[in-house]
Amino acid sequence: MAVCVAVIAKENYPLYIRSTPTENELKFHYMVHTSLDVVDEKISAMGKALVDQRELYLGLLYPTEDYKVYGYVTNSKVKFVMVVDSSNTALRDNEIRSMFRKLHNSYTDVMCNPFYNPGDRIQSRFVCLGRAFDNMVTSMMIPVC
Amino acid sequence: MPRDFKMSVPDYMQCAEDHQTLLVVVQPVGIVSEENFFRIYKRICSVSQISVRDSQRVLYIRYRHHYPPENNEWGDFQTHRKVVGLITITDCFSAKDWPQTFEKFHVQKEIYGSTLYDSRLFVFGLQGEIAEQARTDVAFYPNYEDCQMVEKRIEDFIESLFIVLESKRLDRATDKSGDKIPLLCVPFEKKDFVGLDTDSSVLLGLKRHYKKRCQGRMRKHVGDLCLQAGMLQDSLVHYHMSVELLRSVNDFLWLGAALEGLCSASVIYHYPGGTGGKSGARRFQGSALSAEAANRHRPGAQEVLIDPGALTTSGINPDTSTEIGRAKNCLSPEDIIDKYKEAISYYSKYKNAGVIELEACIKAVRVLAIQKRSMEASEFLQNAVYINLRQLSEEEKIQRYSILSELYELIGFHRKSAFFKRVAAMQCVAPSIAEPGWRACYKLLLETLPGYSLSLDPKDFSRGTHRGWAAVQMRLLHELVYASRRMGNPALSVRHLSFLLQTMLDFLSDQEKKDVTQSLENYTSKCPGTMEPIALPGGLTLPPVPFTKLPIVRHVKLLNLPASLRPHKMKSLLGQNMSTKSPFIYSPIIAHNRGEERSKKIDFQWVQGDVCEVQLMVYNPMPFELRVENMGLLTSGVEFESLPAALSLPAESGLYPVTLVGVPQTTGTITVNGYHTTVFGVFSDCLLDDLPGIKTSGSTVEVIPALPRLQISTSLPRSAHSLQPSSGDEISTNVSVQLYNGESQQLIIKLENIGMEPLEKLEVTSKVLTTKDGISVSGFPLSSPFRQVVRPRVEGKPVNPPESSKAGDCSHVKTLEAVLNFKYSGGPGHTEGYYRNLSLGLHVEVEPSVFFTRVSTLPASSTRQCHLLLDVFNSTEHELTVSTRNSEVLILHAGECQRMAIQVDKFNFESFPESPGEKGQFANPKQLEEERREARGLEIHSKLGIRWRIPSLKRSGEASVEGLLNQLVLEHLQLAPLQWDVLVDGQPCDREVAAACQVGNPVRLEVRLTNRSPRSVGPFALTVVPFQDHQNGVHNYDLHDTVSFVGSSTFYLDAVQPSSQSACLGALLFLYTGDFFLHIRFHEDSTSKELPPSWFCLPSVHVRAVEVQA
Repeated sequence: MAVCVAVIAKENYPLYIRSTPTENELKFHYMVHTSLDVVDEKISAMGKALVDQRELYLGLLYPTEDYKVYGYVTNSKVKFVMVVDSSNTALRDNEIRSMFRKLHNSYTDVMCNPFYNPGDRIQSRFVCLGRAFDNMVTSMMIPVC
Repeated sequence: MPRDFKMSVPDYMQCAEDHQTLLVVVQPVGIVSEENFFRIYKRICSVSQISVRDSQRVLYIRYRHHYPPENNEWGDFQTHRKVVGLITITDCFSAKDWPQTFEKFHVQKEIYGSTLYDSRLFVFGLQGEIAEQARTDVAFYPNYEDCQMVEKRIEDFIESLFIVLESKRLDRATDKSGDKIPLLCVPFEKKDFVGLDTDSSVLLGLKRHYKKRCQGRMRKHVGDLCLQAGMLQDSLVHYHMSVELLRSVNDFLWLGAALEGLCSASVIYHYPGGTGGKSGARRFQGSALSAEAANRHRPGAQEVLIDPGALTTSGINPDTSTEIGRAKNCLSPEDIIDKYKEAISYYSKYKNAGVIELEACIKAVRVLAIQKRSMEASEFLQNAVYINLRQLSEEEKIQRYSILSELYELIGFHRKSAFFKRVAAMQCVAPSIAEPGWRACYKLLLETLPGYSLSLDPKDFSRGTHRGWAAVQMRLLHELVYASRRMGNPALSVRHLSFLLQTMLDFLSDQEKKDVTQSLENYTSKCPGTMEPIALPGGLTLPPVPFTKLPIVRHVKLLNLPASLRPHKMKSLLGQNMSTKSPFIYSPIIAHNRGEERSKKIDFQWVQGDVCEVQLMVYNPMPFELRVENMGLLTSGVEFESLPAALSLPAESGLYPVTLVGVPQTTGTITVNGYHTTVFGVFSDCLLDDLPGIKTSGSTVEVIPALPRLQISTSLPRSAHSLQPSSGDEISTNVSVQLYNGESQQLIIKLENIGMEPLEKLEVTSKVLTTKDGISVSGFPLSSPFRQVVRPRVEGKPVNPPESSKAGDCSHVKTLEAVLNFKYSGGPGHTEGYYRNLSLGLHVEVEPSVFFTRVSTLPASSTRQCHLLLDVFNSTEHELTVSTRNSEVLILHAGECQRMAIQVDKFNFESFPESPGEKGQFANPKQLEEERREARGLEIHSKLGIRWRIPSLKRSGEASVEGLLNQLVLEHLQLAPLQWDVLVDGQPCDREVAAACQVGNPVRLEVRLTNRSPRSVGPFALTVVPFQDHQNGVHNYDLHDTVSFVGSSTFYLDAVQPSSQSACLGALLFLYTGDFFLHIRFHEDSTSKELPPSWFCLPSVHVRAVEVQA
């Protein structure tokens, strides 16, 4: 499953980032950060398409030696980036898609919370705010045996 | 000589158009200074393209001063890799060195010998016989300055290269298929073909296969030569043919090369501006074309070129048929990429062709960058990243990462570019490097800043919330700090660390905050942080980083001077001042302008030479105590002496008030721009304009000229008790005193000028504040400005009868408050019309002493006197004595009430104004009555002179009866306006003293009336009735035998006009000795009913008749 999940604001700063090997978190920061180049490029390429027909799923952003980086962008230009292990060949495109959809739904729930200030970090220490989101991300990161 | 068949040194700068260049190596021989070598090298490089005589072909030259010979081995594979020219530069100063120098030139030639078309030797310094010999391969120059002919020499040299190239091209191109075509090989293939006898090969198929391979490779080679010789069209044809041939024999490496050649030629055709970013490197005969060139990457540019009309105007070639043909053979922009992909996939089959594959990737990326197809470009780059060459040296790794960074930048992937640049930077200081290049590392790190959206100007972070990827930004800043420290530039480290602390404070954990400040303090102990911008060698300037968050300032407020030092403008001048601002009373425009001005300017003044204060509300965001040193104000407009403060803020303090002080030295308008601090050894100038979310109520204030400064001290101790807030005055000093009712207290006030200016004017006024408890102060209007007597006393309310006033009513403490104002001025401030006001607040607590519970009168023996009976109550807790003027002393215990009788002379109140008409201002008769009552009370009071004394406390005071005197008592105390005097024998008599007369002698009796009333009285009839008092209550009136009247016993008085006198006379004859009294009675009818009976009170006369002495 996913090793890193990130939510990135319209202005390209992280709203949420979590990775499973926590000891090398910065590596994933760099990975997700550089993937934004591709996200930007893909968004600008899509620019001409009608908004409502736009595909939110950006697909594989780029592969690295050990990981694959996938992207998803909402209509409000909030980006979701997911890093999965390259060795996990069982993971199909459709599954990635559905994971992003779940992530998007959870994010929408966070946005709907009147106590959430758009643009703020999603922090799991606020019980009703980030906890549900965090739990959902955790469920996506647990490897399926 | 062991050969490495693998080409190992990639040229990361390669681009597609390099395929059309001729490679010339320029090298020094012997000892040539780098400076001199590069001076000549630069000049040589300027000759990079040559139009070949009599044709429209252009020759391009690529110069290298270093070229690995093993790369040269691949010259047959791609001819642009082949070194065809060698230029050697050497110093030679004497003829005897010449042979040796020349020998070295030959040795140098040997290195590239197999591929060289031609070579040149440039000799500097040699003069004389040898230098004069004319040789084509050697040129002599006296020195490095005097060598104008270098460029011309190079042009000649290139032309000679062209001749060789052209002959080779023609040679190969005209090879007939029947001739034996040699097989061109790349170095690593050579050993495979060793011993292969193609002629004796039995298998025909193999032979045909081999032949096709030879033909294909040769075609490809000819294509390369055509491209180099400026024959693009021909090269395309050759490449196409070569592709077909090689594809049929699955000669993948060479097929890849042929495809790449096709791509290169097409790129050169489509993008005459070049893909390598070398601006102005290429020049075309049709100069108009180069201007358009940049736009040629659009798909469809090809179609434009095919249009005959467009072609004739562009003037490339009048022959349109060749143009169309060229377009046919030429790949479309999309095809170029497809063919590149194909070529790279073939190259990737060969491990030894890694460099070729890598370079092809880079070339494709450059093309895609021009086509703005970033996604595909990134795929090529991604591929390039994974091409594993041999173990790279550290330097090569740096170069590789740098170029990857540059290429990512080229395709607009700034983050990826920054990532690789950072990797390159880290590579510069890898642990395996003996001498880490911290300087290079730092320089590269700086270049990554834009990629991480990080500017080093803290102003970019001060507005709004932080934007950007804080985690990676922080990492970069840490690396900058570390690199600059290792570079040995502590000022830089301090600046970067300050920046980190200032801008990333919200993202630092508590532990990180501690660590960062700890290391900052370590750095600043050697090199304090300044407010100077730091200029870096690269032209970048690091702006100063003021610590506006350490502490965070939330509120700035300029404080007014304390009330006693506040300057005031003289009223008369105030009006003038206003009128000078504008001739209009009101104008909306001016009002608007003023409004803006006022929004900043505060409406109080500071005074030159006086300490003024600014209050800041600060907040410490750190999880530990924050030491702020040298905190002071930054001002402009007026010369200002700031008096810095040091403070220590507790961890994560709430809002904490800090007062910064300073002294304005000149006058004018002062603006508080901000403050300066020293925190962790970093000096900061924090300007209010740069502080986000700061609240300020204006920062501009007027400084007026200096004024004297008075300090007040009093004989009584100061008190913290402040006057009622409603008083309106700002009281600077308060004095509080406790007094007993009636007690006097002297207060000495000392004023001292502690300022620098002389005191020129002093005005003293006083004001008694209204008190609740009916207390009045006597003697308050000042007698002397420096001696002030305050005497409070209880003023009983007249509506309360004295009988009803209870002890409890008066026993509670009453307070009295008054203000003394000292208005003063002097010095330059005085000439400007300013003054200061110093106020002394007086707070007196009045405790009750004695008071009179009841007052009544008894008539005295004399009509001119009466007895005043006072019930005195001691309401203190001490024993006290009460005395009057006549020194009667009454001792009263605490809470005791006693009656005292005082004989007083009656009062003549007639001197007071009587009619309301005389005093017009008392329109209210009641008020007038009050006034009169008060005056009478005062007179009575002063006459009585009742004083009390508390011996135990050694305190004394007056006791007043004023308020207690009711109408009845007053009437009794008042002297009647009709004054009756009875004179016996010409002597006025009164009861006390008996008038003596002789028996048998008539005694003259005179009754005299003085009318002091304002009206005429009378006439009156009086009867004298003598009697004897037996002292037992019996009065004997039957005295016809003892006393006889001479004349009538009835006296008549005529009407008496106001203030005139009248008298009537009679005589008495006493026949016996004895004490007699005369009672003088008015006749019923003569007394005027409207006059009060007290007016007709005559003294009774006491006569003692004695025997006539012999």
